[in-house]
Amino acid sequence: MSAVEGGPASGGLPPNTIIAIGVIGGLAGIYLTMLNQTFDTKIFSVMGGIGSIFAVVWGADAVRRVCSYGLGTGVPSIGMVALGMGVVAAIFGLIIPETGILPIPTILGPVISFIVAALIGLVIGVMSNKILKMNIPIMEKSMIEIAGAGSLVLMGLSASIAGSFAFNDAILPGVVSTGYIAIVFIGGAMTILHPFNANLGPDETQYRTLYVAIEKAALIMVIAGFASLTVIDAVSAAVTMLVGLLIFLVYFNKFMKSVHREAYKVVGTGLLPSAEELE
Amino acid sequence: MIDPITGLGLVALMGALATIAGAAEDLESDVGSQSNPNSQVQLAAQMDFPHRIFNKAISGEPPAYGLWCATGATVASVLLAQNMSVIFAIAIGSLAGAILLGLFSVTAHMGRTASQKRFKQPVYMDMVIGHVPSIMAHGFIAVFCIVSFSYIMFEILGHPFPLPLLAFLWGITAGAIGSSTGDVHYGAEREFQNQPFGSGLNAAQSGNIVRKAESGLRNGMDNVWACAKFGGPVTGLALGWTVFFDNWRSTVFSGMNAVIAGLIIVLILILANRLVEVKARKAYGPYKDEEGGAEPA
Repeated sequence: MSAVEGGPASGGLPPNTIIAIGVIGGLAGIYLTMLNQTFDTKIFSVMGGIGSIFAVVWGADAVRRVCSYGLGTGVPSIGMVALGMGVVAAIFGLIIPETGILPIPTILGPVISFIVAALIGLVIGVMSNKILKMNIPIMEKSMIEIAGAGSLVLMGLSASIAGSFAFNDAILPGVVSTGYIAIVFIGGAMTILHPFNANLGPDETQYRTLYVAIEKAALIMVIAGFASLTVIDAVSAAVTMLVGLLIFLVYFNKFMKSVHREAYKVVGTGLLPSAEELE
Repeated sequence: MIDPITGLGLVALMGALATIAGAAEDLESDVGSQSNPNSQVQLAAQMDFPHRIFNKAISGEPPAYGLWCATGATVASVLLAQNMSVIFAIAIGSLAGAILLGLFSVTAHMGRTASQKRFKQPVYMDMVIGHVPSIMAHGFIAVFCIVSFSYIMFEILGHPFPLPLLAFLWGITAGAIGSSTGDVHYGAEREFQNQPFGSGLNAAQSGNIVRKAESGLRNGMDNVWACAKFGGPVTGLALGWTVFFDNWRSTVFSGMNAVIAGLIIVLILILANRLVEVKARKAYGPYKDEEGGAEPA
């Protein structure tokens, strides 16, 4: 089924596999930054960035599935919605245990954020279908997924900059006050919305879209690593940047190969296809 | 607190920077056919009109410019924290933003073209190599100017927001203005140059964009050459005025007076828009009336 005709996206990895990769990979990445406290270092900040890549893959795939229902110009909007929902949920979820209003351990912060994001996504999804009457069969499910992925990307990148997901001690001074939240927000949104937008067309394939998701998420990870220079130490920042750059190079190469393989033809230069050729 | 004369000088400088930024931003989007005109470039191949026009569907211009400017400002503020000189820091930051723009352009163009396999649209590598540097160069100028006036706002005028956040917001503004002001010149006029002026876009003409240039096949360079005469400068003027008037009113007035001054400026702009519209209608004839018998174009 094609993107132009409008209908469910098909091919490649099934949605549930991607959801599992995104949720487990994303949350694992965020929680693995806790090794920083265990070993009294900042080197594990890189795990936050890697977690964000898993979450971006999930988010981009969810965008791909929902936007296959003919949401041409709506693709960018849906990416912005993702991070809009994600940023509210992430901050709320991380701050709630720290306020002490509810007896929740701080360690549960990311999970609470994730659940809150899913709830916001559900409300937006139901509103889109029931009030705006968009009538996209998978709207509710996709919005839950996109919001969840958005919150994980946000927390992952923030943790990679600040070295921890503790809100008051690390993210507030390191990411929000410095203004790096801007790059986390827009970088996260663009990595989720760009892959499908960049490959939109009837001959889009899931692998190519997800290659773009991974290489773009890795690029944002490099920038997050650079930003972390002023927040954590130089060695940890360099590790985040190098790992990001490596992942970028590998997957950009894979993307290029898939374009060369799947395009009608790749030529150095030339005239337009002739009328006979177009028959 | 800086004295009013210096303040006004800075506001004028910011306006000038914003004017250059706006023009470069719009021209950058014309080289690659981003934003609104992109839908016709995308459609062209599908309607059996293969072309050699760069298909840069990164995203809408506002989020895209939000990202390039936030990247530029983030890199710049990290370098500033390491005590690098301001111009150098902003220039390196803008370079990072431009590189990011280039990489997004490559995936957008090649990805979309590869997804049009069944319409036999080839990927021309000389277009990628030829257009991406031009896109990055225009993008660099735009990001440099936006981050620069955001820096003046943050460091000298004492805006409470940190630099990356300010640049991000101004990037979105620049993208939104470029998308709404300059795109019309490219999308409605340059792409459909062979249609009678003012005829609107008939559904039958969808995707039938001009694909041949004065000599050879038209590409993004020919489009930016045409748009640099009107669309680009007008976008620059729009962004320049936005930045200038907004900062002028808060520099000259304070408190409630600044709000009232802002309202008056908006009223004058609405009035001026109306006058221009009426003048254009008189000069180019009435809009087509669906019910009362349309006049032939």
